Amino acid sequence: MSAPSIVTDRMTRHPSDSHTLERYLETGGYQALAKALEMAPDEVTGEVKAANLRGRGGAGFPCGLKWSFLAPSKPAYVVVNGDESEPGTFKDRQLMERDPHQMLEGTIITSYANGANHAFIYIRGEYPRSARRVQQAVEDAYAAGYLGSDILGSGFDLEVTVHLGAGAYICGEETGLLNSLEGRRGEPRLKPPYYPAAKGLYMQPTIVNNVETLANVPWIIENGGEAFAAIGPDGSRGTRLFSISGHVRRPGNYELVMGLTWRELIYEVAGGIPGDRALKCWIPGGASAPWFVPDDHLDLPVTLDDTAKAGSMLGSGAVVIMDETTCTVRATERLVRFFAHESCGQCTPCREGCSWLERILRRIEEGAGREVDVDMLLDISDNISPGLAWPPRMTTICPLGPSAVSPILAITSYFKDELMAHIHQGGCPFD
Amino acid sequence: MVEIRSPSVRRGWSESARARASEIVGQYPEPRSAVMPLLYLAMAEEGYLTDNGMREVASLVGLTPAQVRAVASFYTMYKRDDPGRYLISCCTSISCMLLGSDEVLRAIEDESDVTAGETDPEELISVEHVECIGACGGAPAVTVNYELIEGMTAESARELVRWLRTARPEAIVGAECQELFGGRRSFDWGPFDRDSALGPYPAFGPLGTVSGPAEDQDG
Amino acid sequence: MTEPVTVTINRRQVNAPAGELLIKTAQDNGVYIPRFCWHPRMNPVGMCRMCLVEIETPRGPLMVTSCTTPVSDGMTVDTANPTVKKAQEGVLEFLLINHPLDCPVCDRAGECPLQDQTMAYGPGESRFVEEKRHFEKPIPISELVMLDRERCILCARCTRFSEEISGDPLIEFQERGNYTEVNTFPDEPFRSYFSGNTVQICPVGALTATPYRFRARPWDLTFVESTCQHCSSGDRINLQSSQNRLLRILGVDSEPTNQGWLSDKCRFGFEYVASPARLTSPLVRDEEGELREVSWGEALDYAGKALGEVISRSGGRAVAGLGGARGTNEDAYAFSKFLRSAVGTNSVDCQMDDGLDPRLLSGVVDRARIADLENAGSILVWGPDLKEEHPTLYLRVRRAAQELGAGLVVVHPRGTGLDDRASVKVTYQPGSGGEVLSELMDGNGRMAEAREVLSKGPVVALLGRPGYGESPDLAEATAAFVRSLPDATILPLARRGNVFGALDMGLSPALLPGRAQRGTLAAQMLADRWGELPAASGRDCRGILEGLESGDIEALVLVGADPVRDVPDGELARRALANAGLVVAIDQFLTDSSRMADVVFPAMGFSEVEGTVTNIEGRVLKVNRLTPGPGQSRPDWAILSDLAARLGADLGLVSAQQISEEVEELADIYRGVNWERLDWEDRDGIVVSGDLGYVPVFSHVASVSPRPGEMALHYARTMYDDGVMMRESPSLRPLAPGSGAHLHPTDAARLGVGEGDSVDVTSSSGSLQAGVVIDPTLEPGVVYVPFNQPDTASLGSVPGVRVSA
Repeated sequence: MSAPSIVTDRMTRHPSDSHTLERYLETGGYQALAKALEMAPDEVTGEVKAANLRGRGGAGFPCGLKWSFLAPSKPAYVVVNGDESEPGTFKDRQLMERDPHQMLEGTIITSYANGANHAFIYIRGEYPRSARRVQQAVEDAYAAGYLGSDILGSGFDLEVTVHLGAGAYICGEETGLLNSLEGRRGEPRLKPPYYPAAKGLYMQPTIVNNVETLANVPWIIENGGEAFAAIGPDGSRGTRLFSISGHVRRPGNYELVMGLTWRELIYEVAGGIPGDRALKCWIPGGASAPWFVPDDHLDLPVTLDDTAKAGSMLGSGAVVIMDETTCTVRATERLVRFFAHESCGQCTPCREGCSWLERILRRIEEGAGREVDVDMLLDISDNISPGLAWPPRMTTICPLGPSAVSPILAITSYFKDELMAHIHQGGCPFD
Repeated sequence: MVEIRSPSVRRGWSESARARASEIVGQYPEPRSAVMPLLYLAMAEEGYLTDNGMREVASLVGLTPAQVRAVASFYTMYKRDDPGRYLISCCTSISCMLLGSDEVLRAIEDESDVTAGETDPEELISVEHVECIGACGGAPAVTVNYELIEGMTAESARELVRWLRTARPEAIVGAECQELFGGRRSFDWGPFDRDSALGPYPAFGPLGTVSGPAEDQDG
Repeated sequence: MTEPVTVTINRRQVNAPAGELLIKTAQDNGVYIPRFCWHPRMNPVGMCRMCLVEIETPRGPLMVTSCTTPVSDGMTVDTANPTVKKAQEGVLEFLLINHPLDCPVCDRAGECPLQDQTMAYGPGESRFVEEKRHFEKPIPISELVMLDRERCILCARCTRFSEEISGDPLIEFQERGNYTEVNTFPDEPFRSYFSGNTVQICPVGALTATPYRFRARPWDLTFVESTCQHCSSGDRINLQSSQNRLLRILGVDSEPTNQGWLSDKCRFGFEYVASPARLTSPLVRDEEGELREVSWGEALDYAGKALGEVISRSGGRAVAGLGGARGTNEDAYAFSKFLRSAVGTNSVDCQMDDGLDPRLLSGVVDRARIADLENAGSILVWGPDLKEEHPTLYLRVRRAAQELGAGLVVVHPRGTGLDDRASVKVTYQPGSGGEVLSELMDGNGRMAEAREVLSKGPVVALLGRPGYGESPDLAEATAAFVRSLPDATILPLARRGNVFGALDMGLSPALLPGRAQRGTLAAQMLADRWGELPAASGRDCRGILEGLESGDIEALVLVGADPVRDVPDGELARRALANAGLVVAIDQFLTDSSRMADVVFPAMGFSEVEGTVTNIEGRVLKVNRLTPGPGQSRPDWAILSDLAARLGADLGLVSAQQISEEVEELADIYRGVNWERLDWEDRDGIVVSGDLGYVPVFSHVASVSPRPGEMALHYARTMYDDGVMMRESPSLRPLAPGSGAHLHPTDAARLGVGEGDSVDVTSSSGSLQAGVVIDPTLEPGVVYVPFNQPDTASLGSVPGVRVSA
């Protein structure tokens, strides 16, 4: 693929030292910051708006629009969401380990554009190497005058604190993250009223952006929003990192311009399936996303809007590929187990429902399933996500509970035979 | 403001831990935000998160111990039962599962004779299965003291356990373990990272839970 | 405050204030939306998800929790369509799958919101075939509260109460997800003064009160509303009994006073009512000096004769009365009338040497109401630790500072429960309050910030005596200063249950019923009814005790008073009673004082008599009768009436209600305050206005310093102590902190003592041994000793004590 490379360019060309300040400066680093500091803050926001950069964390919210919603009261904060935990996703880890300054420069520019003088980089606890490299980058940036007071003589001050998570997927949800950063349980907050832009960290206006989103910001400032918006199809501008895993020959992170088809992504980018086995299904955007199957979706374009129209999402950019040898009941059990394990426990339907679903699935996988369990799985799901629609409606505060429903819908609609086989045979046909 | 006073005698923290604690508290606009890093500090200070450690954190940030425990017990990485020197965490989430993580976990359990969730009698090795650790491109993956090893097989997992048993390294150097036991990685990790984990908590400089680059450790 | 909006609920248009929560709007308009986590007195969290409803949005129907959704104009809501019903049923099913359904052995059964809502909204049967979640069955999380985590539905009402309302978050959510549980920290029990509220608001049987467990079924209970008499806030309560035995007290949500909350002292401090130690028969001291049971006639004859002899020998002024602050207004009125018209003395005091001028307490100009705290710009608390002595008032101040944005200045000799919400906290050495006041008035230096806070009106000042080491004049001087602050109102603090009612009924040397001062027109009018009033001025509590000791006073009538335990200088009281020629006690127990009496009459008390009380802000509230008194016990007024008859006087009292009518007739300010109103339309009480208009006088309060070699003494009350009601309430008795000498770490080091070591504390009037408590919230040089603890002597109202290892 001869795609333009925005966020992985440096690490591709300089694999041995792309994470160092020296290499970063040598490859044009911190020039976007210098440029941004010459601009008025709202001009910076204007460029990001013009770029039509959409969030890379999962929800895909337009980044510039998010910035423009920030309430005016001070202090304001910028929080970098490096709590990458969606199963199948490992792109932010690469960005933090291999090019931490790029993300940091994006953070500084974002803080400047939003009038924040303190930014926090929240990195999941299971990523100590990411944290070490980001911390080193922060220390080097302080020493070089890109952080601290009066950055590059602009009068702009910024402190950055690297904060380590401790094992909770729900902290990837922005308000759960803010609670965590405040030293509380990472329980998502009610929205309304606790929209981060108005009542975020310490109840102050707060921008929460994903690592990859921020990593794009220096390029946008350097090259202009229009140049970014010229890349890729409408609604899916710029490039995007896809974490491809599962049954493929070449798993890994790929920076792609969107608009290619899933067939191209799976068979060309990722090299197809080992042993030329048949593709059974794939998860197009992280564990929360409804599954795709070859018959219906293989030739759909990989864009935010086409994926949404087909009833799923690109989410965190994690593509998990399952071949014909996969027991989809076991895969579903594993995914639902994840959500049950990661439920924060505050909402009844998620706390009780997810683990109920998990236990029914395990019972089926272990051979003690009953025919009534199939309708029950759907009805319990319906009580977490009424109508079983996409995007999900929710009986919960945050989308974690409804996320557990996605794989259940997949096995009950695409792989019902397999599910029934488990029940009728009293065990897993793949064992 | 709470009237109840600690009934147990406090084991005091070291001077250096106290100094680091106040530095950490100073990094945040509100002291409560320091709870999570301080809990790591408490683990590093006493080997795992004790009731005493939580009391200490509570007094440092002005919370009740119950409030601190509420936070600590929410997160899986704050170990309140004394884990072994080496915490082997085996990812069994979707991508790793598809590529054989269940066999890797079984091999680890079998070789170490430690069931997931438990610790061996000599408190050397703890085994747990964990949800996705962001190494899906290098699945199946494990961590030892949160240092990542990607591209595991059942056999390399057994070797890892045997090595920990016999070599008993002072600290875990992730990059070294990857070279010894790992296979395919999610991506090129870049240069050899000599930072090493001193215990069952993430190796991160500002927390003091990492031993710095040790040039002599690698030939 | 806000414009009303129009909302359509289930196709019916209703009006509501903008911003009101939908769940409340619906309820106020007859639509009950089921709920568990929402509580009207706490911030909504939307966690249980039971109150889901659908609202119309431009993008179609949206499911929201009605407890977190403010109403807005034009909002259209459906609370019962099939989608909503399915969601609600679903939530109930989720709540029940891990619930043990052990209703037959659960205290909550019959009054359980989970049970009730399952009947109303729940699924018919369970589809859950997996193993339920298991926890160790009820575990004690404090002396008073048991926790059954299997029953818990994790609504967070208890944890939110502890953090948000009472400010002692000792219980919290622990663990995560499906393993989430409520619990304390290991070895740190839920020892909160307010723990019982969590039991009351628990929507299931997860939290139960040890004193009530397995004692009754809700459907067997008889109940009546009443007013708590442990402190002077006038907290509204619901008394509940079975088989004539008082078993439980619940808080009633009364807007002006307790807003539903109670302290544990109020909630559980009723066990004494059924104590086997209650007096059931009159007692007269026999020739051998023993108190012996006699008939009512014999006791009345004896007491009447003995009192009559004193009066005829030395005049009515040789008789004095103490007490009356623990009973009803009706009983207090009878006591006042008895002493003044049948005996002929003005020496009467209900205050037990607490020291504040009664005119300040019940007649200060610009007297605040509790509700003024809701709109306060700033609050000054300089008096007792509210958490210890005025617990529900403490909650109101806390709420004002925490939720309503009032600035808060707390001045006290040690840490108080409000410190974490105070804008400014001033800690000082007892005895130096006068200097602190001068500093505060100057507003310079360290007081600048305090004055800045207090510049925001309206200012509400809660003023009282922080401890017995402090001059009683300080509160009045402070009140005089406070009047210069913007829109200031003053709430003088005194703690005894009905002290304000007793003062209103004239149980004070200088006051007559209706806050009338002697020598005024009102007093003259009273004389028209009562007959001639005694001319000589009377003595206050300390004067009475000193008079008894010196022999100037020969006889003492105690009504529900235990001066030996209850005045700061207990040794003085002991000498006074020993020296008295005659002591007549009307009491529920043989206390350290009534044990020294010549005649003891068994009295009915709380939950046994009907009447009224008057709270700290002058609000008259009804107390009601639910249980019979023990044995031959009788109400105070009836005993006093019979005793008056033995003295040849007819008080003209025939029933408590008739007394109430007499008060209404006689005392202008009580006009219109009658039982009928208080029982029905005015159950929240009626504030009696028409204060004395007493203008507090500023006087320079000289500082007193401990003598060389002494430490300053902070001698103050705790919620639980060795008062007879606490002593006879088995659930609360163990909670008294016991004797203690709190020392600043530097003083402890100087004395060479550590936590728990024993020290001797000696004052000019008494000495005690106490364990050291290291207390960094004190100023160096100050020792804090809790007042009236089990097995301790009293130290007196002294500036300093000697502390030695």
